[in-house]
Amino acid sequence: MGSPVAAPREGQDGTGFTGAVTRIVTFWALLGGALLLIVVALNMASVIAGIFGAPLPGDFELTEMGVAVAAFAFLPYCQITGANVTADIFTSGASPRVIAFLSLIGALVALAFSALLIWRMYAGLLDQKAYDYTTAILQVPHWWAFVPILASLGLLALSALASLMQEARRLSPEGKTDE
Amino acid sequence: AEYEFKLHHFLSANSPAQTKMLEPWAKAVEEASGGKVHIEIYPSMTLGGRPPELVSQARDGVVDLIWTVNGYTPGLFPRTEVFELPTVYRNDPAATNLAMADLLPDLAGEYKGLEVMFLHVHAGQGIQMRDSAVHMPADLMGKKIRVPTRTGAWVIEALGAAPVAMPVPELPPALQKGVVDGAFIPWEIIPPLKIQDQTEYQIEGKDETRFGTTTFQVSMNKGRWDGLPPEIQDAFRAASGPDWLAEVGAIWRASDDFGIKLAVESGNTHIVLTEEETAAFEEAMQPVVDRWVDEVKGKGIDGAGLVEKARAATKAHATR
Amino acid sequence: MSDALSLGLGGLVALILLIGLRLPIAYAMILVGGIGTVLISGPALVLSQLKTLAYGQFSIYDLSVVPMFVLMGAIASKTGLSQALFRAANAWLGWLPGGTAMAAIAGCAGFGAVCGSSLATASTMGKVALPELRRYNYSGALATGTLAAGGVLGILIPPSVVLIIYAIIVEANIVTMFMAAFLPGALAVILFLLTIAAYVAIRPEAGPKGGTPDRAEFTAATLGMIPVLIIFGLVIGGIYLGFFNPTPAAAVGVFLVLAFGIVQRRLGLPALREALLETAATSGMIYLILLGAEMLKIFMSRSGLPQETAAWVVQSGLAPMLVLILLLVALILLGCLMDSLSMILLVVPFFWPVLVEVNGGLYQGAEGAGFGMSTEDLKIWFGILALIVVELGLITPPVGMNVFVISSLAKDVPMAQTFRGVAPFFAAEILRVVLLVAFPILILGLPRLLS
Ligand code: NA
Ligand code: NA
Repeated sequence: MGSPVAAPREGQDGTGFTGAVTRIVTFWALLGGALLLIVVALNMASVIAGIFGAPLPGDFELTEMGVAVAAFAFLPYCQITGANVTADIFTSGASPRVIAFLSLIGALVALAFSALLIWRMYAGLLDQKAYDYTTAILQVPHWWAFVPILASLGLLALSALASLMQEARRLSPEGKTDE
Repeated sequence: AEYEFKLHHFLSANSPAQTKMLEPWAKAVEEASGGKVHIEIYPSMTLGGRPPELVSQARDGVVDLIWTVNGYTPGLFPRTEVFELPTVYRNDPAATNLAMADLLPDLAGEYKGLEVMFLHVHAGQGIQMRDSAVHMPADLMGKKIRVPTRTGAWVIEALGAAPVAMPVPELPPALQKGVVDGAFIPWEIIPPLKIQDQTEYQIEGKDETRFGTTTFQVSMNKGRWDGLPPEIQDAFRAASGPDWLAEVGAIWRASDDFGIKLAVESGNTHIVLTEEETAAFEEAMQPVVDRWVDEVKGKGIDGAGLVEKARAATKAHATR
Repeated sequence: MSDALSLGLGGLVALILLIGLRLPIAYAMILVGGIGTVLISGPALVLSQLKTLAYGQFSIYDLSVVPMFVLMGAIASKTGLSQALFRAANAWLGWLPGGTAMAAIAGCAGFGAVCGSSLATASTMGKVALPELRRYNYSGALATGTLAAGGVLGILIPPSVVLIIYAIIVEANIVTMFMAAFLPGALAVILFLLTIAAYVAIRPEAGPKGGTPDRAEFTAATLGMIPVLIIFGLVIGGIYLGFFNPTPAAAVGVFLVLAFGIVQRRLGLPALREALLETAATSGMIYLILLGAEMLKIFMSRSGLPQETAAWVVQSGLAPMLVLILLLVALILLGCLMDSLSMILLVVPFFWPVLVEVNGGLYQGAEGAGFGMSTEDLKIWFGILALIVVELGLITPPVGMNVFVISSLAKDVPMAQTFRGVAPFFAAEILRVVLLVAFPILILGLPRLLS
């Protein structure tokens, strides 16, 4: 499963577009992590309340919603740090330029997919709102969750674009200079 | 066949819901169409997504037909919810199925983008307790009880117990280890989950009176329906008429009877409340109906009127 | 063959090609699943389904335990828990020939009890134990091989992320799966310790004796195990005994390691930030693969390929045991190329229906079943066997992630040497699989006893 510590790739801590995207995306992932900690606290509270015979109503649905929003917030960070797992078997001997080209294809797929998801999940948000989808116990509207999720997908598209530009630079004759 | 349909649902291929209800219904439609229709059933969400997505899958035409629990998408079918309420639903699934068909003109508005084939209920929520008998609402005071739907949660609160929402598969270990003291669920769930091993008491009112029920729907994508020639539409309607609705009631009743028989044979106590005890429960549960009327008022629905209509229609079909 | 069926087969070939071309596995699944479904059922359907599919998948309640266990492991690796574990194990075992390596295995097992991932276990214990192994002049092969193999215990001993995913796919009870994993995990520890003993009996110079601790050090080091025992006891014990469901249990676990880290004054804001980012990288990767797997499943269901494969295997009349062994061998071979989670998500939806059919159906009881056990038991048995063989992929060449992790910590040891050092442990794992296939009670015993 991926590298445990996703080491930033070269040029990511620099200034310019990639650097800015990396900083925003890292901050966004930390917000997702904070949300995960809130869900942890909620479950702790429910365990403690349960001991006294009064489990918190709606803890299941809030956990589902909270973790889903957090997981979407993690996706851009995965993209920018290259944490999405690949199989290097056939290409381990390939030249850096070939690798850069293949990585560029990967970034292109990520960019296309995030753009598609933004479009479709925006339609999903409108559906959820129009048909009044809510959670069972607390009646929290599901479309609320779609708002931060769409922001996450926007950042995913930005991250994919940054990876794309980086790989394209590596492919260009001048080579590795960043920004 | 000339007309192919994909029917998607969330239970396994061997579940009674598929073998006893969906398969015979699909066959009846196919026969009524003179072989022009073929319905392929996809169990266990094999066409992707999760149970709450079934409604939008049918509405968007991802699949043609669905069978689902209305409560999986709370808020979408508030009017139909009236049939889940305790004292509106008592003990007669067949009569309730027929009553829902009668009221369909009142309900159809909330099935946006869908064409309802038929609506039905299960035999009703019983109380299944781990190690304590229940004869009066006070016996439930402070107990932790697993609930299926939001109306189920209201019933439990009205009875002075604490509702715990929990997916069905987690119920057996939770009962066994005392995470919950009991569950609000029909007898039909006893055989597949071996609930008889984790409980000692099964409680229901006089004459199999239950504490509310759950509503289900079989629906088709609206566009697909509107595009069908009249004789094909007629085939679907013919297979979903009053006889079939009564039959569905009998099917769920039979699964329920099988479940309680299993529990009693394995040594469980089946408590049937006396007339006074049943009345005490119905009195304690009356506020749930008021709460629902109040709740749907916010959506501009005349809840009190619907309760009255639902009760009258059920009574008109009652066989007991 | 129908058009849909040949599309399904073509899709599988395309998937392998794309993965070979270094496309992230999640995106390969998304691409093949999406395009395949468009070809079979048209674009409108895919566009509609994408409105809610990702949200639906990401909000599965049973999955919420995954990021929590990942976070628990990430925090645990920053708290000094690993140092305390290794010190205790070393006080008990260090004086034996090969004892420091044995202590590393025991430390990995202990850390695996609070961490759900192999790589995190390998890298955390690697950082702690490698310097010690060096200090006692262990051979590079034994030192790095031990740690790469020991990391596998992170996933074999509950909690285990891969096992949770397996349980969700086949609709098994996570609690039962955690119970079933316990004895096989303990067996792995024993076999690994015996492997080291045998290794140093043959080549004593590879693993010299360590020092004998004095009484004070022995006591102090042993007491250091108490926090892990408390955390494992409360979290996994709490799940086994049914005090809580896995998700609240994981929340309790996160809380306990946080509290431990703060009390130990090791967990400042920078460390917490790092733990959260590691959790983001690992969880995000897992969720994206899950989404890809769901899209691939939709394509495959519509092509009818899994159903046809299952029917074909049943018709072929192969002996059930032979089918099982072929599936396990296929998993070991695939493990040379792919990571364990992707493999489980990719392969189990194909393999499980085959086993169900061979056994006699979903509701088959033990009587007259192909494997002589009910399908419910088969689900548990196969799950643990599959878990072990997919984890073997972490230590086999050419792509062995655990070996890579340890190599990056021990840059002076050539990777080939690490792969050689891991070989005896691989043999021990094969022996374990044979034992578990021959004696299913090793897997099924504890769940039966506890329920
Ligand atoms: Na573990
Ligand atoms: Na490998």
